[in-house]
Amino acid sequence: MPTSSRISRRDALTLFGGIASASALAACGVGGSGTPPSTTSVRIAFQNFADSTLLVKDQGTLERALPGHTVTWTAFDSGASINTAFLSGALDIAVIGSSPTAQAICPPLGIPYQVIELLNVIGSSEALVVRAGSGITALAELTGHKIATPFSSTAHYSLLAALDQAGVDPGGVTLVDLEPQNILAAWQRGDIDGAYVWTPTLSTLRRDGTTLIDSARLAEAGKPTMTFAVAHNDFIASHPDVVDAWLTATNDAITQIGRDPAVVAEAVHRQLGISGADALAQLDQNIYLDLDQQRGADYFGSTAAPGALADRLRDTAEFLFQQKKVDSVPELATFRAALRVPEVSDGS
Amino acid sequence: MSAQFTKNALDEAAPARGWSREKRTRRDYRHWSGVFGGPLLGLVAVLALLAVWQLLALARIWPEQIVPPPTRVWEQLLVTTDPHNGQGGYAGATLWQRLAVSLRRVAYGSGYGIVIGVLLGLVMGLVPVVRVVVAPLVTFLRALPPLAYLSLLVIWFGIDEEPKVYLLMLAAFPPVAVATAAAVSGVNRQYVEAARALGARRRHVLGSVVLPAAAPEILTGVRLAVGVAYSSVVAAETVNGADGIGGMVLNAQRYNQTAVVLLGLFVIGITGLVIDALIVAVRRLLSPWRGRA
Repeated sequence: MPTSSRISRRDALTLFGGIASASALAACGVGGSGTPPSTTSVRIAFQNFADSTLLVKDQGTLERALPGHTVTWTAFDSGASINTAFLSGALDIAVIGSSPTAQAICPPLGIPYQVIELLNVIGSSEALVVRAGSGITALAELTGHKIATPFSSTAHYSLLAALDQAGVDPGGVTLVDLEPQNILAAWQRGDIDGAYVWTPTLSTLRRDGTTLIDSARLAEAGKPTMTFAVAHNDFIASHPDVVDAWLTATNDAITQIGRDPAVVAEAVHRQLGISGADALAQLDQNIYLDLDQQRGADYFGSTAAPGALADRLRDTAEFLFQQKKVDSVPELATFRAALRVPEVSDGS
Repeated sequence: MSAQFTKNALDEAAPARGWSREKRTRRDYRHWSGVFGGPLLGLVAVLALLAVWQLLALARIWPEQIVPPPTRVWEQLLVTTDPHNGQGGYAGATLWQRLAVSLRRVAYGSGYGIVIGVLLGLVMGLVPVVRVVVAPLVTFLRALPPLAYLSLLVIWFGIDEEPKVYLLMLAAFPPVAVATAAAVSGVNRQYVEAARALGARRRHVLGSVVLPAAAPEILTGVRLAVGVAYSSVVAAETVNGADGIGGMVLNAQRYNQTAVVLLGLFVIGITGLVIDALIVAVRRLLSPWRGRA
């Protein structure tokens, strides 16, 4: 027994040594390809929802526009994890929702990044749906019912904004924190009465549910939720050309959605594995603005006359403050400073 | 197997006997280290670690959101245990309420897991055919990470207490089953034969000989099981578990509240240590002969 255990221990050590050295080698390999000395690396975070950025990723537009740059695309599940990655200096550019962005601007996070572009205003692709059998027909009847939403998301913000608008005390509604796939399971089992969630889960819920309100209507009522592109301040300062290339590429994709969304839907289908029809439906449900429209007074405005976007971000921050998720809400100037008017400097 | 069992018992007994003799002869020398040394040394080590941590945090090598100082974690302890701070502790429930909710889940989960594990382990240990058939299945289940089967439990059992308790049960029962099976089949045959020779029936042999002889190993399995269940509580609370301590850790992580994440981990770790110490005490109570020979 002692001899056999000694041999197996040695074998085990050899095995572990092998694994450890292999993983160490692999780590070197990753580090080496990510930051070769001669090229600039551009580290981009994207999220798995239908958007113009997926067309840019699918067609390699950015890679072609930036020869000599190494572009890495990393998928993230939520804005919170993107914020964490920015804190540890692992990202340059990211696609992120307005709620986590507002949170990042406020203390204690204070992440040094700027909003460089408004990728879309979330429309009917996020909505509050209740079960057909629940008997709920209006927001005011939600009291005492169980409603699910992924916490800290734009949908969570919209749900609370909708309750606030209808004068419903959120404390009287049982809010359940669930990821979209679990919302689907809970809905099918009848564990929840409703959910504020996004497509494609939303499309399934709509089949046997009633839509009470969606983010398009909340946007009209002054509580919009948005998807942004953000970039690290250091990166904007040192690589303005990359930011320009990003703006040009995404703007082309945004105009492409207006011209022929089928092309973009095809790219989304390839990137996310959802069907082309679903991708098209998702793209249709958001509002896309090109760079000119983004410079309108409702959004970025101009450097001389800042638009209302900073106010909207501050509203979101106020909401987060009520939820005790940020320490304080800074002055409007801080939010204005966190916005960079989307202009391509060389006039292309 | 039986030879190994007696050898193990002797191995454990020998140092215990030797230590007590040594303690008697070197009482003066051992006095300080025995009374104050153990706890004091531990306390000094913990304080030193806290000091290093505080210094690292003060050095601002990393942003405070990545490495918060211990003082921030302490502040969070005060904030999250205060029900009158405007958000009822942390997001609607105090730390202690959350701890109670999670401990209840762990108690139910590991309770069911232990009952199933002991019963299955007994059958596995007594009936070799069952052991051959069931052992790979138990090992298979043991290899699965709880998060992987949580999705399935949510589809089957919904989002309330059931999937959480079942997840902890599934995580807890394999160690008990394996330990019980090994302990039962490792009981010295001579004890069993002696009892039989004295006229004991099968159920008497099981109740008076096999179970008491196997009890220390079974309790080791129980100790492992509760540990596994407690370490799975964060996984169990990823789905609608916002009222538990694991849910607090997940929620804080989502808002980059690193100090709260650390606080949650410390509370889980420290209560885990306390629970483990309790089980060890119970084991000593139930099988006092072990380690004393």
